Amino acid sequence: MIGSLTQRQLRAVKQICWTLALCVVAIPFVFPFLWMISSGLKGPSEIFGQPSLIPTSFRWNNYLEVFNYQPFARQYFNSLYIAVTVTLLTLFISSLAGYALARLRFAGAALVALFLVSALMVPEEVTIIPNFFLIRWLGLSDTHWPLILLPVFGSQGIVGTFLMRQYFLALPKELEDAGKMDGLSRFGVWWRIALPMSRPALAAVAIITFLNSWNLFLEPLIFISSLEKFTLPLALSNFTDPYGSPLWHLQLAATTLAVLPILMVYLIAQRQIIESFALSGVKG
Amino acid sequence: MSSLTLRNLKKRFGRVDVIRGVTLDVADGEFVVFVGPSGCGKSTLLRMISGLEDVTDGELRIGNRVVNEVQPAKRGVAMVFQSYALYPHLNVRDNMGFGLKVRKVPAAERQQRVSEAAALLKLDALLDRFPRELSGGQRQRVAIGRAIVGHPDVFLFDEPLSNLDAELRVHMRSEIAALHKRLGNTMIYVTHDQVEAMTLADKIVVLRDGRIEQVGSPRELYEQPDNIFVAQFIGSPKMNILPAGSAAGFGAQPAGAVSVGVRPEHLSLVAPEKGQIGGKVVISEYTGASSLLHIRLDSGETCLVVVDGDAPEADMKVGLLAGTDNLHHFDTDGMALRKSRLLM
Repeated sequence: MIGSLTQRQLRAVKQICWTLALCVVAIPFVFPFLWMISSGLKGPSEIFGQPSLIPTSFRWNNYLEVFNYQPFARQYFNSLYIAVTVTLLTLFISSLAGYALARLRFAGAALVALFLVSALMVPEEVTIIPNFFLIRWLGLSDTHWPLILLPVFGSQGIVGTFLMRQYFLALPKELEDAGKMDGLSRFGVWWRIALPMSRPALAAVAIITFLNSWNLFLEPLIFISSLEKFTLPLALSNFTDPYGSPLWHLQLAATTLAVLPILMVYLIAQRQIIESFALSGVKG
Repeated sequence: MSSLTLRNLKKRFGRVDVIRGVTLDVADGEFVVFVGPSGCGKSTLLRMISGLEDVTDGELRIGNRVVNEVQPAKRGVAMVFQSYALYPHLNVRDNMGFGLKVRKVPAAERQQRVSEAAALLKLDALLDRFPRELSGGQRQRVAIGRAIVGHPDVFLFDEPLSNLDAELRVHMRSEIAALHKRLGNTMIYVTHDQVEAMTLADKIVVLRDGRIEQVGSPRELYEQPDNIFVAQFIGSPKMNILPAGSAAGFGAQPAGAVSVGVRPEHLSLVAPEKGQIGGKVVISEYTGASSLLHIRLDSGETCLVVVDGDAPEADMKVGLLAGTDNLHHFDTDGMALRKSRLLM
């Protein structure tokens, strides 16, 4: 039967088969997401009642309750400004450091690069105790500084520096020579030639850094104790009843709100994000 | 416009001497071509003049100014790179005006200079395009335009045509020659292409291992090479160098001559019994207007001969003739014996 199909029909059949197969593969990824949205609109009893993707009654009130239960708007803003600050600082520092490692000849450059690569292999959990003492010694406990400084000068900064270095290494040196002939200083070459040409790498670093900061849980848990200073991941885990059991309907409504900015960014810059992950070699 | 003076210029990378004492005078408005085999230091020398490489030792003057420690942009030079080095994120207009912008030239003047250069290079219609939207030849013209707008005293070209196809290369070569005629600036041009060197240069500088082997006009280098290296480097196909004994048939040789050079195009084929020396055709390569013959001489050496018209087939015995004016004699060090020739 397949033999009797024309080339065009065969192509259409293949496309349908592929689409169906991909839909099946997508179920484990999409279903929990739909379940989260659905449960965020259910009442507490319905969540544990007859399983259904569509709520019997839509409790939009859950979303109001999220903001009444704790200072969620403030916590939302905390996450947002911390993630943006960490991203901007990481972009600035890692692109400068990456450029220096890629282009400047200085004693110990190779050693520094080696340290960077080694630092990539150290799990963050290992450094949390010395960091805790350091932050306490600096008097920065229960402030947002550790959530900004540790990623910028820690793992995120290192990943960013490494990515930028690799990208700068591949930039043609003649372009920089042309910049020098045009009168640019070393800093000018970085700012006006190397950076504009590194947009894909900058986008990769920005996206990875933002996501990481947005999802950061361990550091806020260790360093933040005031409710109004909580960031989203910590705030989400705080929707509990007096006995410590999760209030699922509020937690899932709040999670839906927390996912929104990421989802919007993803929808707007879908192609860029996929390219970024391909460039950085990390999992999406 | 400006002259250029190099005095015992040296460049060392770590322990490697790349430029080993170059002394050269380039007159105002002169077109000088640096040629030499790969790794001879011609590009390094150009980059030293541009300021992109530091001078290890010696003195470099542009006009009356010692520029050893002067930044590239303040030397009054502009460089055209082999890969064009156009900024991919800027359009043609911004590429050409970038240097002026960095030097804070007012926007109106910048605009005027870019327009003038664009008109000169026929780039008017391409000003809003990005480098990726241009052909190789157009990119090269933009690179030249970028150099022109800065009104430099000296233009530096680093193998600017080597990325172009053969036809475009010939075209751009003539455009660069016309540009030099029109602007009259001092130009230093690096190439490994002899035809470019011979056709463009007022003066050719032949380099080897970081030293100058000979400086002269294309004709001087072709007709009076100082040594075997220059004799063989200039001219295509390269000059035949035969031991003095094997070339004895060509005539009397000056005292001290150990080898004799004769260009393939200066040898004539005759019947074996009429030749000054004899041999047998090994390979005959037809190249269209002429043929290149590889001839195994009776003395055992192989010799190249360029023949116009019908060429003999392989394995044929032939005789060779050479005019005494076309013979070059070299001593044991490979240096030309020119004075001795005059005494002959």
